Amino acid sequence: MKQAGKRLFELVLFLFILSFISFVFMKAAPGDPVRYMLNIDDVSITDEQVEELRNELGFNEPLYVQYWNWLIRFFQFDLGESYMTKQPVLQELINKVPSTLALTFSSMAVMMLIAAPIGTLAALYKNKWIDHLSRIFALIGASVPSFWLGLLFMQLFSVKLGILPAMGKGTFLHLLLPSLTLGIAMAAVYVRLLRSSLLESLGQDFIKSARARGLSQKRIFFFHAFRHSLTPVITIFGVSLGSLLGGTVIIEVLFAYPGVGKLVVEAIVRRDYPVIQGYILFMGLFVVMINLLVDLSYRYLNPEIRLRGGDKG
Amino acid sequence: MNKKTRISLVLIVFLMLLTACSAENSNSSAERNGEEKKKEITFLSNFPSETLDPHLNYTAVRAGVTETLVRVNQDQELEPWLAESWDTSDGGQTWSFQIRNNITFQNGKKVDAAAVKASLERNIQVSEAMKTALKIKAMEADGQTLNITTEQKLPQFPSELVHPNTAIVDSSVENMEQKPIGTGPFKVVSFEPNSKLELEKHGEYWDGEVKLDRATMTFNEDANARTTALQSGDADIVYRPAIESIEILKSDQSIKTDVVSSLRTHLLMYNSGKETFKDLNVRKAFEALIDRQVVADDIMAGQATVAEGPFLAESPYSPDYEKKFFSMEMAKKYLEEAGYKMKDGKMVKDGKPLTLKLMTYSYRPELPLISQLLQSNAKELGIAIEIQQVENIDEYLAEKTDWDIATYSLITAPRGDASYFLNSAYMAGGAINPGQIQNKQLTELIEELNQTSDNEKRNEISKAAIKIIDQEKLHSFLVHPNNFVAYKDYVLNWQTSTSEYYTLTKDLDVRTK
Repeated sequence: MKQAGKRLFELVLFLFILSFISFVFMKAAPGDPVRYMLNIDDVSITDEQVEELRNELGFNEPLYVQYWNWLIRFFQFDLGESYMTKQPVLQELINKVPSTLALTFSSMAVMMLIAAPIGTLAALYKNKWIDHLSRIFALIGASVPSFWLGLLFMQLFSVKLGILPAMGKGTFLHLLLPSLTLGIAMAAVYVRLLRSSLLESLGQDFIKSARARGLSQKRIFFFHAFRHSLTPVITIFGVSLGSLLGGTVIIEVLFAYPGVGKLVVEAIVRRDYPVIQGYILFMGLFVVMINLLVDLSYRYLNPEIRLRGGDKG
Repeated sequence: MNKKTRISLVLIVFLMLLTACSAENSNSSAERNGEEKKKEITFLSNFPSETLDPHLNYTAVRAGVTETLVRVNQDQELEPWLAESWDTSDGGQTWSFQIRNNITFQNGKKVDAAAVKASLERNIQVSEAMKTALKIKAMEADGQTLNITTEQKLPQFPSELVHPNTAIVDSSVENMEQKPIGTGPFKVVSFEPNSKLELEKHGEYWDGEVKLDRATMTFNEDANARTTALQSGDADIVYRPAIESIEILKSDQSIKTDVVSSLRTHLLMYNSGKETFKDLNVRKAFEALIDRQVVADDIMAGQATVAEGPFLAESPYSPDYEKKFFSMEMAKKYLEEAGYKMKDGKMVKDGKPLTLKLMTYSYRPELPLISQLLQSNAKELGIAIEIQQVENIDEYLAEKTDWDIATYSLITAPRGDASYFLNSAYMAGGAINPGQIQNKQLTELIEELNQTSDNEKRNEISKAAIKIIDQEKLHSFLVHPNNFVAYKDYVLNWQTSTSEYYTLTKDLDVRTK
């Protein structure tokens, strides 16, 4: 209970620091949303009118005043309104996050379906043809730009075979091509990572002792070596999940699959500060949660940690 | 069951799943095009739409959901739309708009002057840009007559009402960002931001029969993906497919293409604050240094029309422009007239070599290429041009003064009137006058234009103003990019709107088999 309270306090402190730093950096970066708000509509304006609106929106106030105003609203669960759509930022995020989560998790599923068997086989048959094949797959997967792979998939599955929709959102079928594109690109890295991690595990003393105890090969492999090899994979995975969540923008644009990545890129271009700030906080929260889950997973994956009493911090 | 059998079974199940998907897909197509005899179309737009609020976004007008009081036709002339006529009693400050009597919103409510007033009030409340543009001081509704007083004389007021963000909606309805209620030929069924807008026919449309039963507008910013969507049948009409796919699409018998010059103009801005560009001869030299034909044919792959001036040559406010030509000799001659001499391969004046800073941006990928073309031509004349690419050109030009030349692109006459461009680009303090252009004669003409309400007179004044811009080479206008649309051969009555405001119309139709 005490530890949970400590964790919660750390989370709040982290979000507070994050919000302050991001606010300062955002405002310090060059850019003026007012020109976007006025110019984008092709209306005849003067510099005087730009200045007037800047005053009206409080952009000429000192930075600490602007931050204080934002903070007060934040404590009332109000992240402000998007300058462009005039919609509450919280609502914008709530609308977009499920799509991005669906895309992220389905891509992860594709990644696991590819990486787990190939990485395992490559480790089991080290330097055999399957290992060479996995190396070629990893090389191609890591080198091919995802937008190009996406276009190839569109040509194959939508134009030539006509079995999957080329773009859009709505059904499970719409999710297949973007997931496949993202999943293959991710799998390339994890195939190699899993292979090397498995090889390392198979050479560990506890595997030798398991063999000496007469355990079956299958049991040794799946319950000991494979589980142990997942620790570094999960660590990298946890770290990269945050960037994956925000980094799906190219796929979102290509497949017209609107998600949070596209939302924030658009917000950055237009200097839509409330949306950017809201997104940073959301991502901060998400990354903290993921790290917590990763920490918990260690206790399951590595008995050593559990037996030592785990990470006491 | 041995291992091979298991693998074969998994493969068979996978293939069956794919076939099922395929069958489901083709079934829905059949239903769409044949059995129910419903006429529908999918239009794929390149403009993403985060909101459907007509006062913040153009999509509602483009999709035929909402309409404005005034519209602009293909010849860039104003036409009555929801307003059947308008008049000003004092040369442009007090306006009287007569709203058509036979119009209802898509929810059945009558469109009278009070409804229009409420819609405009909401408009200026939510959009800072429109509040700035319309300058409405007071409105008074009386039956079908709406009287509007502006803060100052605004003879171009009817032209401002062409702006899609002035669309008339039933402002009492909530959820404007998802389901606005307008007067257009299509009603909103559902809207997924940046993805899909589903529409159905508005049966009681005031301006005649709507040919389509349903329409879908989808959005994709990637040109290659748009081309693929047309080929795969995911879209029936595609706005701006990839330029490199033009020949493939043209050779496809089942696809038609349409190309029109857009109202956009790519141009070069000169910084008049810099001594170098205060000299007309230097501006003339740079005017001669840029090969517009190469820009149109090579850099833009033939998808642009050479520009003579800021507006399309057929615009009612375009004068007879001076003939433009690319000539290195002429450029050299003008530079010599400006006092420059070639010395050790460099163009020098008062012992100083001519070195310039050119600003460009990548949002329009052709602009950095145009910059390189100019840089390369200038180099032959001993002029060193340093190209700097920035993310936001407007901000940079507004805040810095260290630049000499800039590539720029804008829609010069979006609403059938020249005053937006003339005021913004040539008046002191204008938002797109970072080069601090100040020409006394031109300023007087623009001021006169701002006081003139007679349309013909306005066009004459605009022509005179543009003539000065042309002669003084205040900007170098390069090309008008084309709007390219590709669509399936069964699509009927498609017209590519030069203004890009009107896409789904009541006349749009499909040929049923």
